[in-house]
Amino acid sequence: MAEVVQTTRTSLREGRIGSSVSRKEDDRLLRGEGRFTDDVEPGHCLHMAVGRCPFPHARILSIDVSQAVALEGVEDVLVGSDVVSRSDPISVLRPVADAPDLGFYAMATDVAVFEGHPVVSVVAVSRHVAEDAIGLIDVDYEPLPHVFDVESAMDPRSPVLHPRVLKSNLLVKRLTGAGDPEARLAEADVVVEERFSINRVSPLPMETRAIVAEWQAGARELTVRHSTQVPHLVRKQLAESLRLEDGAVRVIATDVGGGFGLKLGIYPEDVLACLHAMRARRPVKWVEDRIEFFRASTHGRESVHSVRVGARSDGQITGMFDAYAVDSGGYNSPMGSPQLTSHMFTGPYRVNDAGTEHSVILTNKAPVGAYRGYGQPESCFVRELLIDRLACRLGRDRVELRAQNMLHSQDMPWQSTSGATYDSGDYEACLRMAAQAIGYEEHVKRGRGPGTDGRYTGVGLASFVERTGYASSKFLARRGSRFGAHESVTLRANRSGGVDVYNGVSTFGVGTETSFAQIVADVIGIDFDSVRVHLGDTGASPLNTGGFASRTLIASAGALRQAAEELRAKILRIGAFMLDSDPEDAVISRGVVCLRDDPNACLPLAEVYDRAIINQGMPPGEEPGLESGAQFEPEAAAYGYGTAAARVSVDPETGDFDVERFVMVHDCGTPVNPVLIDGQVLGGLAQGYGQAVMEELRYDEETGQLINGTMMDYFMPTAADLPEIELQHTFVKSPVTPFGVRGVGEVGTVPGCATIASAICDALADFGVEINRLPLSPESVWRALNQAKASREVRS
Amino acid sequence: MKSAPFTYVRPASVEEALHVLDEQAGAARILAGGQSLVPMLQMRLMQLDALVDINRLPGLDEVRAAGAETIFGPLVRYATIERLPLVAERLPLLQCVMRFVGDPQIRNRGTIGGSLAQADPTGEVPLSCLALDATIVAASVSGTREILIDDFLVSSYTTALEPGEMITEIRFPLAPHHFAFLERNRKHNDFAVVNVAVVGRRGSDGGWSDLRIALGGVSDRVVLAVESAALLEGTTLEEDAIAQAAQLALDVIDPPTDVRGTAEYRRHLVPVYVRRALSKLRDDHEPFDA
Amino acid sequence: MPERVEVTISVNGRKHRRQVEPRMHLADFLRHELGLTGTHIGCEQGVCGNCTVLVDGQAVKSCLMFAAQADGQRVTTVESLAEEELHPLQQAFKDAHALQCGYCTPGFLMAAAAIAAEGRRPSREELREELSGVICRCTGYENILIAVERYLEDRGEVEAVGG
Repeated sequence: MAEVVQTTRTSLREGRIGSSVSRKEDDRLLRGEGRFTDDVEPGHCLHMAVGRCPFPHARILSIDVSQAVALEGVEDVLVGSDVVSRSDPISVLRPVADAPDLGFYAMATDVAVFEGHPVVSVVAVSRHVAEDAIGLIDVDYEPLPHVFDVESAMDPRSPVLHPRVLKSNLLVKRLTGAGDPEARLAEADVVVEERFSINRVSPLPMETRAIVAEWQAGARELTVRHSTQVPHLVRKQLAESLRLEDGAVRVIATDVGGGFGLKLGIYPEDVLACLHAMRARRPVKWVEDRIEFFRASTHGRESVHSVRVGARSDGQITGMFDAYAVDSGGYNSPMGSPQLTSHMFTGPYRVNDAGTEHSVILTNKAPVGAYRGYGQPESCFVRELLIDRLACRLGRDRVELRAQNMLHSQDMPWQSTSGATYDSGDYEACLRMAAQAIGYEEHVKRGRGPGTDGRYTGVGLASFVERTGYASSKFLARRGSRFGAHESVTLRANRSGGVDVYNGVSTFGVGTETSFAQIVADVIGIDFDSVRVHLGDTGASPLNTGGFASRTLIASAGALRQAAEELRAKILRIGAFMLDSDPEDAVISRGVVCLRDDPNACLPLAEVYDRAIINQGMPPGEEPGLESGAQFEPEAAAYGYGTAAARVSVDPETGDFDVERFVMVHDCGTPVNPVLIDGQVLGGLAQGYGQAVMEELRYDEETGQLINGTMMDYFMPTAADLPEIELQHTFVKSPVTPFGVRGVGEVGTVPGCATIASAICDALADFGVEINRLPLSPESVWRALNQAKASREVRS
Repeated sequence: MKSAPFTYVRPASVEEALHVLDEQAGAARILAGGQSLVPMLQMRLMQLDALVDINRLPGLDEVRAAGAETIFGPLVRYATIERLPLVAERLPLLQCVMRFVGDPQIRNRGTIGGSLAQADPTGEVPLSCLALDATIVAASVSGTREILIDDFLVSSYTTALEPGEMITEIRFPLAPHHFAFLERNRKHNDFAVVNVAVVGRRGSDGGWSDLRIALGGVSDRVVLAVESAALLEGTTLEEDAIAQAAQLALDVIDPPTDVRGTAEYRRHLVPVYVRRALSKLRDDHEPFDA
Repeated sequence: MPERVEVTISVNGRKHRRQVEPRMHLADFLRHELGLTGTHIGCEQGVCGNCTVLVDGQAVKSCLMFAAQADGQRVTTVESLAEEELHPLQQAFKDAHALQCGYCTPGFLMAAAAIAAEGRRPSREELREELSGVICRCTGYENILIAVERYLEDRGEVEAVGG
């Protein structure tokens, strides 16, 4: 039976696990004293600008840099041939299994394969001058026919992007699943089949990418300040590409202005900045501007799906299949295209026969990388809309049909057809709570309208299961991933009576410094304020993996607990010795070690720490120092879950719609810091909302160029665009993670698109409107209405 | 994303500014609020030899009543228009649309003259100036001239201003009392997909006169639906007449397809929005609804 | 050498005289000439508002104004808010968990400071519009709205008591 966390917010101790203590990160950030990469500028720093291919696909015939070199203030220029001779391709951290390596060099040499592909770089005394120099460089291009989307990419007449490695634009195709979905679909009483398109979007952190590289030639040491979620992986990748040993590279990520998956691993510009620093022997800074950002930072999502679901007439789902193609852009980026669509395809439903066919296809667009959710919003969208349509075909209630097919807590652990092992949960509880909160039954009774204003009302629902953290390194090894699954931590007591925590993840907004300190304080029994967390410096932290996949807390919590327990035991041994007693009789409380039976016999922690550090008067056999380290690899992923619901009103004349309410019910397992959890979920929902109703990177089919690569033309929600969001949580402990936590970093992004689309389809159900494409704009709703009316006319 | 180099000139008088514009022969631009110009410079979509900063010139940021006319200096900022009782009283449409321009920071800087010179085909300022039949006063070293708004707005981001000219005044005649404004955006206060401003005067007999219907986002500049307005002159704006006028508005548009919407969708929206704006004009005198 | 102009700008109460290129925008001036790196640059296109500062008391996007234009004017940045303790507005952000990565935060603080300086107390819906000139990608805005609302409320009460 699932274990539910028994806490209330008010009963929680300040600064311990479960407490909504305010963040350690906040004071410096609020004062404007954060240290983002661009905030640091070494003396004599040079600034880099990058010249980029303006075409989606072009042969570089010649490059004339003479005028740029002659410009006062220009110190160095690199072209593709320099880069190829001095560096190796950027490694793929997470290859799609069985995919060949495309050899992604930091600069195009003969052919550029996306608009924004670097073709030349300059360093100069200021960014202004570097950009002036780029303007003076004459590149002679021969534009080549380009590949626009996954359909045309597979046309045999289409140009092949990487003919040296591949025969076509198909990078890889994989089948996953279990049972016999084709047989079940063939014998099903009802089969619903649809085609869905998911929009290409930008993760869009407010801080763009940035790097400051300093090379000390004598020591052969490269120090890199970098805006990244994964300092240790960046170090490995830079060392590989620059042909340096790992030990020669130190990566420091102080404050990072948002990541969302975009700041995983290195990009071409990182290699270029380092090459320039090594050649010019001066520090080099590059801060991506927003024009570059839209063309050269990885994009997220974009896929097309052909999905089928089969069911018996009583509503039992018997088989599911999704054949989908992901548009990967011009290269497979370090984190590749999203890989959890297949994994989470069947969601919270009991289906024994299901599968996916996953194709990754190359096109002449910017590479796609990880984006918060990593494939899960996509599978939620296609599955939940299909289930709505199944309900419609069967004449069943949407909530009841979902409930009928949902897994229950007694089914757990449950292995899905994709091999995911759902650890625990009460999926139906979330569904019922969401339906209740949104007023589903009242809506069904009241009907869709139209109201006196002519608008129709609809309610949408989407249920989901979400993978948080990931399984062990054994699992990753099977997929060919080039990173580990463990987190590591060093704890070190200091002579002021505090504890320093060192870890290799960076601070990019999720409250890591705070939640880590809560765990250490809780386990050792010391004050939250006495714990200081030092993050993001590969020169000061044990080797780890990094912050992504909603894994930071899951994986680190294990290491933190282990190291904190070790430190605690040693503090008690030394303290008890100093008090002439036994460790079993000593306790740590409020900054002191004291004896359980004699509260007057107590020592300040600073004294205990000092004794260990100077190694004077220690218990016999005790090693000097007060430091502990631990590595922890989670044995399994924890699966979060929930249901979101929305109520919309739609103007059938214009397609204009208004999301009047949005409810999210979600299980977060043991909450380490409830307020931070709410923050993560709300932020993710805002991104999901943006993807649902406004965000889309659009390329011109004819020219292959990005149409809306500015902040004016890429629509991102402001405070005035978002509906108020109503959050509810359940607290079912995960049995597979330390403390029973579940990751919460990505969950908000998962159900937004499906929920709002479901609501709009419901509002316009009387017209037979079906929405199969994102984003949902008033125009797309209007078009869907027209299409529905037209097909009715044809039928009648 | 840094601007190319340019010379910065801060003239002490309009005459000096005009002199610089004349000398630079098209390679200089007036810098007023800069909220559209500066991004274009920084994206290097535009390179200039000189920027003539008129922000310190005295007297250009005033609004005054001159008989029936209301006269704006080119430097009057959106935030001022939003708050000035004189504007609320005399040109309520102009005041109403300010809430739909950019955001508070943009409105603190952006100016009426800058917006007209920018001639954005979706812009709320050109739209309401057209609805309110403004006259632009332009000066150059060889003198000043008055340009009717309809002649001033030539096409997308193009005006009748000569390279050596700057706007020195925007004059509004007595405005009809009633107005309605509607706008559709893809996101909050984004460039409009479609916007409509209508003004008119209701006589004591309930009949409407002096109607002007201006449409934005549906051509290479903001346009007037002259025939639609003429059709309604003297009517009480009954449904049938409105519907007919709304349909007639299609004759004056030539909508673009862009990232905000297709021509087809804009074509669909125009009659709907004209109809709704006119109904609103008739039914209430509430300044706007979002 | 590129042409330079001399500017004297009062920033957070201190006068700074510098020779700058006319093309240097105010955000770069604050960050690179004065080392006031609390003003962040998010787009240089005038959309994200992360670079919002006050110029003569009014909230403006400092990437859309050249430093030369601010000659002789008073600029107020996020660095002016806190003394020993956080400013009550900053404390309200902290209490409401109104920041995550913290990159956009100075922009919101300055936009809110401008509202407070005018003594206004907008409703929640008005506040959404008032703060629409700053973009945040982390929080979903909810907690920012709560923080600003609470600050304006508490401030109003203090004033009422004081007055």
